[in-house]
Amino acid sequence: MKKMFFRPQRAKFSYCFGLLFLCTFLLLPNLFAQNNRTVSGVITDVKKVPLQGVSVVIKGSARGASTDQNGKFVLSEVPANGVLVVSYTGMNPQEVSITNKTAIVVIMAEGVNTLNEVVMVGYGTRQKRDVTGAVAQVKATQLENENPQSIQDVLRGNVPGLSVTSSPNAKGGGNLLVRGRASINAGTSPLIVVDGVIYPGDLSDINPNDIATVDVLKDASSAAVFGAKAASGVILVTTKKGNGSKPTITFNTNVGLAKLAMDEPLYDGPGFVSWRTAALNSINANARPFQYDDPRKLPADISEAQWKAYDNSNPTGDAVDIWLNRLRMFSIEKDNYKLGRSTNWYDMMFQTGLRNDHTVSISGKKEDVSYYMSANHTLNEGFIVGDKFSTFRIRINLEAKAAKFMSVGLNLQFADRDESQVPVSWQQMVNASPYGQKFRPDGVTLRDSPNDDIGNNTNPFLDNTYQNRLQKSNTLFGSIYLKGNLPFGFSYQTNFTPNFEFFKFFNGRSAKDFRVSVRRGVATRRDQSTFNWQVDNLLMWNGSVGEHRMDATVLVNAEKFQQWNTQMENEGFDPNDNLSYHNIGAGIKPVISSNDERSTGDALMARFNYSFRDRYLLTTSVRRDGYSAFGLQNPRATFPSIGVGWVFSKEKFARAEWLGYGKLRASWGINGNRDIGRYSALSDLSTGKYQFITPSGQVILVSQLFVNRLQNSGLKWERTESYNLGLDYSILKDRISGSIDAYRRSTRDLLINRLLPDVTGFTNVLTNLGEVQNKGIEVSISTLNMKRQHFTWRSTLNFTMNRNQIKKLYGPTPDYDATGKVIGQSDKNDVANRWFIGQDIDVIWDLRVLGIWQQNEAAEAAKFGVRPGDFKIEDLNKDGKFSDADRQFLGYRNPRSQWTFRNDFTFNNFDFSFMLYSNLGQKEEFNQAKNNLGFVDRQNSYQFPFWTPENPINDYARLSSNNGSANFNVYRSTSFVRLSTVAVSYSLPPSLLTRANIQSLKLYLNVNNLAVYQPNWNFWDAEFRNNPPGDRTVVPPPRYFTFGINLTL
Amino acid sequence: MEKIKKYIAGTALITLAIGMGIGCKKAYLEPQPLSFYEPSATYTTVAAMRAALAACARNLRFEYYGGNPPILTEMLFTEIAVEGTTDKAGPAQDLNLLITPDLVEFNNDDRNKIYVYWDEGYKGIKYANTVISRIDNVTYASPAERNAILGAAYFHRALRYYKLTHQFGDVPAIMKEITAPSLEFYSTKREVILNKIKLDLDSALLWTSDAVNRGEVTKGAVAHLLTKVNLALGNFDAAITAANSVINGGTYSLMKSTFGSAAPPTTVMPGTRTPVPLPRNVIWDLHRPENKSVAANREGLLMIISRFGDGQFNTGMTIMRQAVPFWGSNISSPTGKKGTNDNINPEFIQSNLYGRGIGRTRPSDYAQYDIWNDPNDLRHIPGNWMKMEDILYNDMGLKTSGDPWYLKNLQLRNVNGGLICTDTIRSWFGWPHYKLFVPDFENSPMQGGHTDWYLFRLAETYLLRAEAYFWKGDVASAAADINEIRIRANCAPISPSAVNIGTILDERARELFFEETRKTELTRMSYLFAKTGKAAENGKVYTLARFSDENYLYDRVMDKNNFYKKGVVTNYGAKYTISPYHVLWPIPTRSINGNSNGRINQNKGYTGFENNVPPLEAIP
Repeated sequence: MKKMFFRPQRAKFSYCFGLLFLCTFLLLPNLFAQNNRTVSGVITDVKKVPLQGVSVVIKGSARGASTDQNGKFVLSEVPANGVLVVSYTGMNPQEVSITNKTAIVVIMAEGVNTLNEVVMVGYGTRQKRDVTGAVAQVKATQLENENPQSIQDVLRGNVPGLSVTSSPNAKGGGNLLVRGRASINAGTSPLIVVDGVIYPGDLSDINPNDIATVDVLKDASSAAVFGAKAASGVILVTTKKGNGSKPTITFNTNVGLAKLAMDEPLYDGPGFVSWRTAALNSINANARPFQYDDPRKLPADISEAQWKAYDNSNPTGDAVDIWLNRLRMFSIEKDNYKLGRSTNWYDMMFQTGLRNDHTVSISGKKEDVSYYMSANHTLNEGFIVGDKFSTFRIRINLEAKAAKFMSVGLNLQFADRDESQVPVSWQQMVNASPYGQKFRPDGVTLRDSPNDDIGNNTNPFLDNTYQNRLQKSNTLFGSIYLKGNLPFGFSYQTNFTPNFEFFKFFNGRSAKDFRVSVRRGVATRRDQSTFNWQVDNLLMWNGSVGEHRMDATVLVNAEKFQQWNTQMENEGFDPNDNLSYHNIGAGIKPVISSNDERSTGDALMARFNYSFRDRYLLTTSVRRDGYSAFGLQNPRATFPSIGVGWVFSKEKFARAEWLGYGKLRASWGINGNRDIGRYSALSDLSTGKYQFITPSGQVILVSQLFVNRLQNSGLKWERTESYNLGLDYSILKDRISGSIDAYRRSTRDLLINRLLPDVTGFTNVLTNLGEVQNKGIEVSISTLNMKRQHFTWRSTLNFTMNRNQIKKLYGPTPDYDATGKVIGQSDKNDVANRWFIGQDIDVIWDLRVLGIWQQNEAAEAAKFGVRPGDFKIEDLNKDGKFSDADRQFLGYRNPRSQWTFRNDFTFNNFDFSFMLYSNLGQKEEFNQAKNNLGFVDRQNSYQFPFWTPENPINDYARLSSNNGSANFNVYRSTSFVRLSTVAVSYSLPPSLLTRANIQSLKLYLNVNNLAVYQPNWNFWDAEFRNNPPGDRTVVPPPRYFTFGINLTL
Repeated sequence: MEKIKKYIAGTALITLAIGMGIGCKKAYLEPQPLSFYEPSATYTTVAAMRAALAACARNLRFEYYGGNPPILTEMLFTEIAVEGTTDKAGPAQDLNLLITPDLVEFNNDDRNKIYVYWDEGYKGIKYANTVISRIDNVTYASPAERNAILGAAYFHRALRYYKLTHQFGDVPAIMKEITAPSLEFYSTKREVILNKIKLDLDSALLWTSDAVNRGEVTKGAVAHLLTKVNLALGNFDAAITAANSVINGGTYSLMKSTFGSAAPPTTVMPGTRTPVPLPRNVIWDLHRPENKSVAANREGLLMIISRFGDGQFNTGMTIMRQAVPFWGSNISSPTGKKGTNDNINPEFIQSNLYGRGIGRTRPSDYAQYDIWNDPNDLRHIPGNWMKMEDILYNDMGLKTSGDPWYLKNLQLRNVNGGLICTDTIRSWFGWPHYKLFVPDFENSPMQGGHTDWYLFRLAETYLLRAEAYFWKGDVASAAADINEIRIRANCAPISPSAVNIGTILDERARELFFEETRKTELTRMSYLFAKTGKAAENGKVYTLARFSDENYLYDRVMDKNNFYKKGVVTNYGAKYTISPYHVLWPIPTRSINGNSNGRINQNKGYTGFENNVPPLEAIP
């Protein structure tokens, strides 16, 4: 790096230009003094409570002040005919003319109109009023009562066009997806920007209590300033800043409970026995009547002797013993059955977890220094036994005015994240016999298997008990900046953004766990450190001529990523493994490995905004990006955009009483996606070890080498071109406001793992091919339904619909007729990957399930090799065999539409809110309906219906059903409506608090995931997955109850 | 003054920051791999070429190691075994139902491994082609060094094609390293590929040596494979010549007396829990893990090496899990109680002696009874061969209830002759303990740990030469070769008049269980019957034109494998079926679909055959 600093500067023109500009203006003193005066004032809400931190800005300038804890401000050098713009989060902004006034009183009203809000647009802010792209903002402060535990919680349901999945773990979180899946193989996570700089870290390291606002840039035009990384949308997080001369100290402390939100019961002891009976009857095609039934309840026409003779059992043997043996029970199961003693594994897997989240912050502004500091500790227990998450987070935001033309600042974030938890293997509860036991007879040692059947079921507590794990991440993310105003409307900013991550994963599997006992313990130590940095240099200008307003931004950026990973594993610890991973050298089979990575990138960006009479708006930008992953041939790419807006409500012809505001927006732009492996374009060699034996009998290790990946030096950026049409409106005196957006996004040069014929020895090659299109609409309506003196009711309704379609794949290839003659060309589907031109990426293409073969269809079923009770699959081409020719489009995995309905009520000092959201039209695999997963003759089961001759249902198969020759899945709709949050809070009246020198004190209570309605799904909660979209395993859902106190001094 | 300082500081800072931006020239964006090797810079030394060959050698392991090893799929298409997993749908039992191009896409332990043979076969070809295409990018100490490396690569490629052409028939012939995406492959005629690999092996035979480490390609292995390829081509004299070079070369010989220092076979007397040693014998010693690759052992031509300490198949071979009966379940004592326990908690941990089997590889009656017609056969004597009756009732429930059957020998039937094992397919059969017993120090209960494995063994060379003599009509020489094997195993010799393909197959079944790729060999023989028009021992004459409709393999399986012959139905209700077209496996749908600009032909009898185009008549 050092070398780079002092490299001889054979600079391109643009760089020199920038440098010259900056230097010139830095060295010019501010020559322009003005003949003005000082204005002071008080700003309160309608209840006359002083508002702290209200922004008061002189219109047409960047100068302003903010109010102290008494709601007071003082502003010097205000022009005689100046206008002050007063704005505050959640309130309607006002413009106050101060002709001849030196003291003003402003009462601010809560607003639903979001048009005046200041939104982040990337490398700057704009008033929503002036924005030409599709930008949505969430104010985290308004969600305080709901106590969001992560950024995902802040965003979930609150932004049309953004889907946020849910996680069941104590850590929380979820995946983010903006406007549908646009890429097939590259990443689809939006770019995260924190306080103006790109954030490469883990979202859980950002304390949601520190967040002021989150802005989501959805269209190409608004995201284009982030060019190459913006194709999946951009999420801009703004943290809190200090203001007010007296330090404000805030405590936000809450405790909560995590509980299992939904029951999915297993069979208890007696239920298990009758289920096993039914299972064995179904498995054994030639079962004799009542062969597997309780011999004490045989019908009159079957004697016990006859029953015993079925399998030549000892005629003098104990009938119950014989029966339990037929049911394949192990000794311990039989003993416990006879004693009537069973184990409820289900209840042992789940707990009421305690959650703690405490944040203290102090903020303020003293003369030329503003500060915000916070410390947070979160300690969550999950509802699954053993699941935990804890983190300690600190944030320091400082800004000091170093000179009239220069402020320096620092935004620093540190997190110490502990993910050492090893939860119980709750999935094993299905395998565990209810007549098994957790402990050996000594009452303290875990059994290897609940019923001594280790081949099939292991004790769910093994991992939890015998794994000793330390998994910690320490992250330090900071942004050091320098900014200031220059004469002639210029301003500048320079950011240096380092990010450090230190990750440890140490794991010891104790030799007490029978699975590794003969290996005498297995341990791993992995250390990984990451250092990446970015530098942004920004030069901005704004000015106006008459009614023409303009601003421009120029950016020069560079970045570098470096990571070092070291791992060692060992086993066979001698004399014992009591030291676990702490003495990794004590083993006999060391394996060491390392992986280091490096990438570099740079960017140039220019943006220009223009508006005329605040009525006609234009935004245009261009960005040129470089990235080393494409460095072989295409290191750089250019991403342009343009957006226009028309505030038609300002036109004479549109002036109507009911129309408060109306703006039409249109934008176009191209964004890039580079979210692939750093070395994906390069061919690499796989290494490993093999062994030879020398003639003297000695084992020697030899290295093997083979080509693992085909090189593609032409690899380049994926490009998403989008069009967006939008309408922002506010009608009936701001009673109703919102926006409507329609978009079309075409992603070309998809970074796609193109399947290669396996005869090449390669599975696929990463290449740029094809086109995927997403189009959709997003509607947002905010209403002020009722406004009385003591009561207000506001609602927000968001609706999103996205349609995804593969337009092209690999380009035209020849078509042949039956004789092998070329008869034309066409682009072919990629059937092997289930990608079809004209269909959704996530379309389901499979054999169609028609129902269950019934008793009277036995002969027909036999033609397909199955029998009554098995699934009946449509043989589309009637050839008696199942192949691709029988596969059909059966639906979609992604929601066809989503809506959110949020209501906020205020009654005196009480606030109450609830949110409903819904995903509609998506389907998911439900192979549980086959009743043949796992070993049905050796385990327990969830209580699903099953087909029997006496219960001839048509949607669930018989126990241990046969799939025959059909390779199929059963699908069910996972449409749902969820009551996701209900929150109530009480703020103590200011009159009570002022005496105690308390600014505000609020108590709140909320419930998360209170209820769900999923009419067609009955296996846990279809929305909760461990790690979507890759892992689609449905997992138990959590419910959280939280009580909190928010105190501001 | 103070102000000026600040100005200077500010200017310096900004200049610095912008300077960093200027530093970003094109070189700045060059990708720099740090932790992996890059091909063109790496395949430039002899060491790298040897490492590429090590990849070929390591790839051989996939066939015998891991869960449901592919070798079982080779076995279950023949007369010696079937898939024995009887408690669910999916395992390859009803072959007519389950062997479809659509269903062979899985590398799924509950199904079959046809796709694994295809996929790993072409991976092996890729590894070998890397060496062959880059052979002259390297400077060698001598031409001999170059040729030895090239010869080994030719061997590895030929071995894969030999199997692929007998498993799948006509397949794409890729003889060069692939360095750019290509989706235009066509099937090449089987004979064309065989002729090409014969030429390659002829060269390799001149270039390779036997003075190499175990695990590396030997001259003996090249000659052995060349014998097979020559047989497949109908060049019987060339096959005999190739076999002679191994048998008479002086390096290899059959092991005829005990050797090594492995522990002897054992037995457990009823009522006791301690194994008692039995006398050592050559068959036992020949298959002990500690003896397979020792210098004293002169029988192994090509070894697969797997010892504790290497990265792949970390927990061993698991052969005992795959091929030992599921003796811990379905077996009741005559008193009607659970009889056996294959876990590690009973007092008598019987799984330490035999492993915890799951009965996946179920031998046919042919393999476990019919071929054992010589009472002195060492391969079937107690201690070497296990019968179910040698196992003892060991479930602790028997002991705690004072049951008299505790630690008594298993019984298949009760006093009245009624069956008391509820699943004799999966849980009741005999097995060659001398081959399957591989002590396991990494799994508990034992599944079959680390051991080397014979890929080619001299005993098979004798049987291949016997076959060549038979095809030529020289039954006396054929009998002599077969008798080399029989006499070593303490059997009575057979007379020349008894020699036919059937008796050669019988001897192969006795000698090469879990070693030979039996379906490949049967298909090769079926081709030869069809090609030569020679009548088989069943009296039938076959033709190439109707190969997928009538062939020797199918008739032999239906004659000898009681499961397919009788259409046995498992407890689950699956029926064992097979058809003549199974002589060639289906090409996986995935492989045909992935080749969108060409056409890989499907075999007759499977969906998609109708889309075939004529196969290539030359190597592309």
